[in-house]
Order: sequence, then C-alpha cells, then structure tokens
Amino acid sequence: MGTSSYQDEIESATIVDTDIHLRVPTEELAKYVDEPHKGYLKGPFGSTNDIIWDVTMGEKIQHKKFETAEDVERDVMGELNVDVPIVNTFGKLSYLPQTDRAVELMHGYNRYLLDRVLDRNDDIYGLAEIAPQKPDLAAELIDDLANENQIVGVFALTTGAYPPLGDERYDIMYKAAEDNNLPFAFHASAGSAFKHEFPRQHQGFETWLEMHSMAHFWSQSMTLTSLIRNGTPVKFPDLDFVILESGLGWVPYMMYRLNKEYSMRRSEAPLLERSPESYIRDSFYFSSQPLGEPDNPQQMRQIIELLGIDSILFSSDYPHYDFDHPSALYAHLRNHFEEEERAQILTDNPLSVYGINI
Amino acid sequence: MTEHVVCKEEELEPGERILVELEGRDIAVFNVDGELYAYTNWCVHQAGPICQGTLSGTRTASFDSETLETTLKWEKEGEILTCPWHGWEYDVTRGDCLSRAKIRLITHDVRSSDGAVIVEI
Repeated sequence: MGTSSYQDEIESATIVDTDIHLRVPTEELAKYVDEPHKGYLKGPFGSTNDIIWDVTMGEKIQHKKFETAEDVERDVMGELNVDVPIVNTFGKLSYLPQTDRAVELMHGYNRYLLDRVLDRNDDIYGLAEIAPQKPDLAAELIDDLANENQIVGVFALTTGAYPPLGDERYDIMYKAAEDNNLPFAFHASAGSAFKHEFPRQHQGFETWLEMHSMAHFWSQSMTLTSLIRNGTPVKFPDLDFVILESGLGWVPYMMYRLNKEYSMRRSEAPLLERSPESYIRDSFYFSSQPLGEPDNPQQMRQIIELLGIDSILFSSDYPHYDFDHPSALYAHLRNHFEEEERAQILTDNPLSVYGINI
Repeated sequence: MTEHVVCKEEELEPGERILVELEGRDIAVFNVDGELYAYTNWCVHQAGPICQGTLSGTRTASFDSETLETTLKWEKEGEILTCPWHGWEYDVTRGDCLSRAKIRLITHDVRSSDGAVIVEI
C-alpha cells in the first residue's frame, strides 16, 4: 500500500525535468547542416564524439535510441511521469577546434530540435544550444530563437570552452539571453569533452568511474568561479544561471570557499559589490542530478537545506546511463519537506526560471 | 572612558601612523590628509595585526551595459588598509571592510588638542 501511494504522489505531482538529452545520430543531423559540413557528417569520420571508454560496460547498461518527440513522450512523459520536459541537444560544441564547423553544427542542432521535437509536441520545451567559439554568432542565434515559444533557455557545454565562460568575450551572449528573458544553462561532460579540457587527467585516470566522478564537478566549479570572478551576475542582474548535471553537494563548499577567496583578494574581482554566496543564491539554480547518495540519507536533507529550496531544480539526465528517476529526489522531499516545498523544487522554481506557463 | 595622550601632533604627519599600547590593547592612530582615525590592531577576520598593514589605494570597476565595457580604476590612494595576514581590505577613513557587509574595525574616538593626539578608550 505504501508503495502504491508513493507512486500515486509522483504521478499526481507536476514534475518539470530540466535536463533531458537528445541523442542525435550524425546522419540525421547532416540533414539540417549545410555544406561542406553536411559532407563531413556523412563520412566515416563524421562524429565529433571521440570517446574511448565503454560507458555501457559491454552493453550491460542499456544505451537507448532517443532522438524524437515520440521518444520524449514515451520514456520521459510516460515512464518517468514528467509533465514538463525541457530538452537539450547536447551537441557538445564548445571544445571543437574547427570554428566554422562548430557554428554550423550549432545551427544544425537547433534546426533539428525544432523540426524533430518541438514542432511535433507543444508540451515539450527546449534549450537553444550555442557554440561559444563565436560569441557574436551565438548572440544572434539567441535573438532569433527567442521568438520560438518552446525555446525557453540557452544551453552551453562548459567542458572544453576556452577560456572559461566568465570571460568578458562571452558577455554579448549573456546580454542576448538577458534581453530575451532566457536563462542560461551550463552543462559539463565526461568522455571526449573531458579529454580536451583535462588531457593529462583523462590519460592518468584508469577508469571511467574516476573520470566521470570528477568531470562534471571540475568543469562546473570552474565555470561558477569564472562567472563570479568576472562579475557576470553583476553585469546581467536579470539573467538566471542554471548549473545542470553536477548535483548539489559541492555548491555550499564553493559558496563558502569563494567568499573566503574574495575577501582575501577583493581587488581581483572588483565588479562584485557583495559576497559571492549572495550572487549564487540570487542568480544561480542547480539541478539535482546526479543526486548524491550518502550512507545516511538524512544528510541529503541537510544538503538541500544548506543550498536552499529556492535554488534547486529537478533533472533526470535521461537517457544517459546515470539518469535519476524522479523518485530518487522525491524520496528525500517526501520524508523531510512540506508539500509546498516539494512543489517549489519539482514545479514552481523551474516554471519561473524558464518562464513556462502551464 | 579614559583619555590617553598618544603623541605630539607634529609626530603624526599626514600619511603616517603610530601604534601604541593602551590599557593592554594595541591601538593605532592614522593621520589621513590631516584627519585622525584610531582602531584596535585586530582584524575582524582572524585577529591579524590589521593596523600594521599596508596603506594603499585599491582597484574598483564599473560596467557599461550598453557597450559591454568594464572600466577599471585605482581609487582611494592612501585610504585602504590591507591586513598582512590574509589581505582583508578596510577603508581607513570609516573602518568598513570592503568585502563584507556590516563588518567594521573596532574604532576609538581620537582628537588633537593643544598639540597632543588624544585617544579615548
């Protein structure tokens, strides 16, 4: 009976999932890309994904096709009980060395997102993925796609972006996002992106387990530090920043660490007018996945309280192998938080950040 | 409150400071452009010897949201006291910490009278 009511609660809650990844096959992406890059994608070396690890451990972990609106409807809106899916193309563009290719793939991924997913189901929302190698062209794309009702934010891969994404050369992208009332979502990546950003560590780690444990935290803490040091939330006070797929537990550490560093070297971050923690609490949101799994589950309540209900969003990361089912977070929310607080994380915060009316 | 004569006025020229022990406490008096300021030699951060730190200016910045340009400035030369332990900055004319809201040095009343610098504690 207990299990049944628990499932009923998840089904009756309005769940917004802020991080769902399409797996766009190279040959399908090619249909949305102009020459000469269309030709590159069709060839034997078309993939930009040069991963050398077996994420599936010999296919013991499933690797599902996930490329259309139907896939989102069946797996996420169906099996996962998600009411409002926010999809990204996860093109992993930031580390690509061939700039014109990165820019053309940026356009291709967003054309794909609109044509294959958003235009086929009005209840699915998406993020416009940008290639930060050309910030002015990324800003133009943001201005263009902001006119699409179902585009509710911007998406950038942090791992491999050089220099880190707080650099002032990117301000034009953040201004475009702010002017269009779109939040800016940051996403890290293991595997190929990690190999570019942290080549020595990629070679030095013996296993995917080690590399994957560090990849998201390193990239996201680097990005957060870069954005704070450069004063990006001071420059764009109406812009919301969303940090995807690095969980919650590291954030209090970074807030307090940045406070400490800032007070010791304030003149190196002269745009800040108050503590780094206060900017993080006011302007940043953090998605739950990968939800940490403490031996003592009570400690997850403490993490959520330290970070604050106001700053947390739910994300599944579906269909990746380390995705979180909504029940993982819901178990903690159900045990430790009031109904209104649960609704804030699952529903109200993300709807407000992404400006979605349902 | 007890008044203590710290030194003669002419012994504390603009840009100078004097550090003395009064009632067992280390107190510094600063002359900044002819104005006197007195603080306990105790950084609010971790009790470092703030009053023995460097007096300099500091870097400030402003951002133009139209041009997206950041302008850096060097301001308040001679008015920013930096703790030698961890670098916390204070405005020596106010006692305020530059990086933490509501944090101030421990201040004391100070004046010059009949050629003497007098601190009350």
